[in-house]
Formats: sequence, structure tokens, C-alpha cells
Amino acid sequence: MAFAWKAAGLTYNRYVSVASRVVRRSLKEDKRIAAERRGESDLRFAKWENGKQGENKNLNAANESAIAEQASQ
Amino acid sequence: MMLSRAARPALRAGVAAASARPATLSTPNAATYATLREIEGRLKSIRNIEKITKTMKIVASTKLTRAQKAMTESRSYGQTSNAVFENAETKALEGEDKKTLIVICSSDKGLCGGIHSGMSRRTRALLAESPNTDLVVIGEKCKAQLGRSNGKNMQLSFAGIGKDVPTFADAAAIADQITLLPTDYSSIQIMYNKFLNAQSYEPVIVEAFSEEAIKESANFAAFEIDDEILPSLREYALANALYWGLAEGHACEQSARRNAMDNASKNAGDMINKFQILFNRTRQAVITGELVEIITGAAASEEG
Repeated sequence: MAFAWKAAGLTYNRYVSVASRVVRRSLKEDKRIAAERRGESDLRFAKWENGKQGENKNLNAANESAIAEQASQ
Repeated sequence: MMLSRAARPALRAGVAAASARPATLSTPNAATYATLREIEGRLKSIRNIEKITKTMKIVASTKLTRAQKAMTESRSYGQTSNAVFENAETKALEGEDKKTLIVICSSDKGLCGGIHSGMSRRTRALLAESPNTDLVVIGEKCKAQLGRSNGKNMQLSFAGIGKDVPTFADAAAIADQITLLPTDYSSIQIMYNKFLNAQSYEPVIVEAFSEEAIKESANFAAFEIDDEILPSLREYALANALYWGLAEGHACEQSARRNAMDNASKNAGDMINKFQILFNRTRQAVITGELVEIITGAAASEEG
């Protein structure tokens, strides 16, 4: 069983988050605002090498570029 | 605790100044008025600190109710996900060449007692046993503590957590970034503060298993899982476990902050009482001193 999203380089978590975003956006106005707050994520991350912290990057942007990279391979 | 310790030398200085006063009676006005004003200033600043800590406590209490709700909700995520592995009797793979990854769920904010350093201490103990372990740290507090002592083991660090109740989107994004790490880990251990009750927490570890470990598990056949879905299951299980850990850690942090601020307010109250008494006594002493001076002066002039 092959999945289209898997072939496109998405991880399952990414797939789930996209799906849940769609569901949240299709809710009624009053419920939607409360629900959309549960989908927010604003994290930064840094890679460490040899005991030194690397550059701080936005996590979601990095995830998207990683997916794009995997898809192009 | 910290506030009271920091202010204690000042208290001692105040007492010392008050007891040293009779010795400097030759210039009574200058000395006593200075100490009186000093005590007054100190009282004022302690009152301000008490106000601040009280407000922080109220804020933490309000956040705590929400955090606890999120924690109970997130527990079902983690426990459901764990139930699969329990039924499948999954065990971590034992192997010398395979590395272990520890994910530490702390947060960005301090002023909440020793819950972050408790986790750092536990991590250091684990690292002393097996130095070949990699670390992923979520939250600035533990990052600063572990980055100094075990910077070589650090792989990733995340920041921006702890402003609000952690969302599943946070956990999923972190899980994705962890799966992107080049090294293949035999087991991923997620460390978080377990919420025992409002007063006590302890750092505990939940396992997120690797694909091989899931495949090797004794009762794996009970679930009809295709090989292709297996990585998905693993990723999702990791996100679930992370979400659980983050939410429970968040609840612990809020509760610890509430307690810390409660103690700080109590200590400030104690200090205010002490200083109020000192202030009143000093003022009384000044008034008595002045009265004595006036009466002796009057008596002397009458005689003359």
C-alpha cells in the first residue's frame, strides 16, 4: 500500500497536521477560532555540533524545506 | 526562598544599625532619621516584591487549571499509544553499537523552583552511566544547564515552548525534526516531569521505540501492521509521547511556579512584619530620645 503523501516526502505527522488544519478551517466561525489556536506552533530550533550551538532557525520553515528536499530526491 | 536569602543581610544590617544607635548618640538626629528612612525604604520595596510575587502566583494558578486540563487530555494520547506497545510486548533493543537519544521536555521560563534542574541532574546521572548518548533539549532552561556541562552530546535544541499550553502541532513538528536526525537510534527516551501531586514531581522516562524494536516485539503479530505503515506508526507514537511529556511537564511547571510564588509571598509577608516592628520600635526610640532631650533642657533652664 503506497501513499501519495509518502511519495511526496511528507512524514505521517506532517500529513496529520495538514489534515487537521483543513478540518479546523472548515469549522464554523466561533468554533474555528478556538480550534485554530490548538494548531499553532511557533518554535525555533538549533543544531548542535561539537558542543557548540548552531544558528537558531524557525522549526516549521525548516521542516517544510526538509520535505521539499526529500521530495525532489 | 531566594528573595528572603537575598534580603536577609539587609535585615541584619537594619538590626545592627538599630542596636548601634545608642553608641552614636552624639549625633542622634542624623543617625536615627537615616535608619528610619532606610527601614521605610526597605519596607516599601519588600511590599512591592510581595505584590509582584502575589500577582505571579495568581497568574500561575489560572494557567495551572488550563495546564492540568491539557495534561489529562494529553494523557489519553500517550496512554493509548503506549497500550499498543504494551499489548505487542515491545522491548527496547539491546545492542552495544546502537545509540540512545534522550529528549528532555523542559521549558523557556524560570522562577519555578527546581523542576528544570531536577531533570538536568537526572540527565547527567544517565550520561555518566552511558556517555555515548545523544541529547535533544526542548526549552531554554535545560539547554543552558546541559549545554554547559554536556555540550558534546547535544544534537538539537528547541526554544519557544512554555509560553502557552503545548499544542500537538508543536509535538509533531519536534518529532519530525528528531526523525530527520542522521543517526539511527535504537531507542528514544523522553524525559519529562511526572505530576505526582501539586507539591511533588519527579523526572520520568517514556520510551519511543525504533522500527526494528517494534518489529521484534513478542506479540507483534496481534496487530496487522504492514511494513510500509510501520515508520508512520513510529513517527506518530513519537509525537504522541512528546505531546504527553510536554503537556505534563507544562502542568508541573505551572504548579511549581505557583508554589514558588506562594512561598515567596509568604516570606515577604514575614519580612514585612519584622520590619514593621523594627520600624515602630525605632520610631518610638527616636520620640523618647527627643522627649528626654526637651525635658532635660527645660529642667536645666528652669534651674538656671
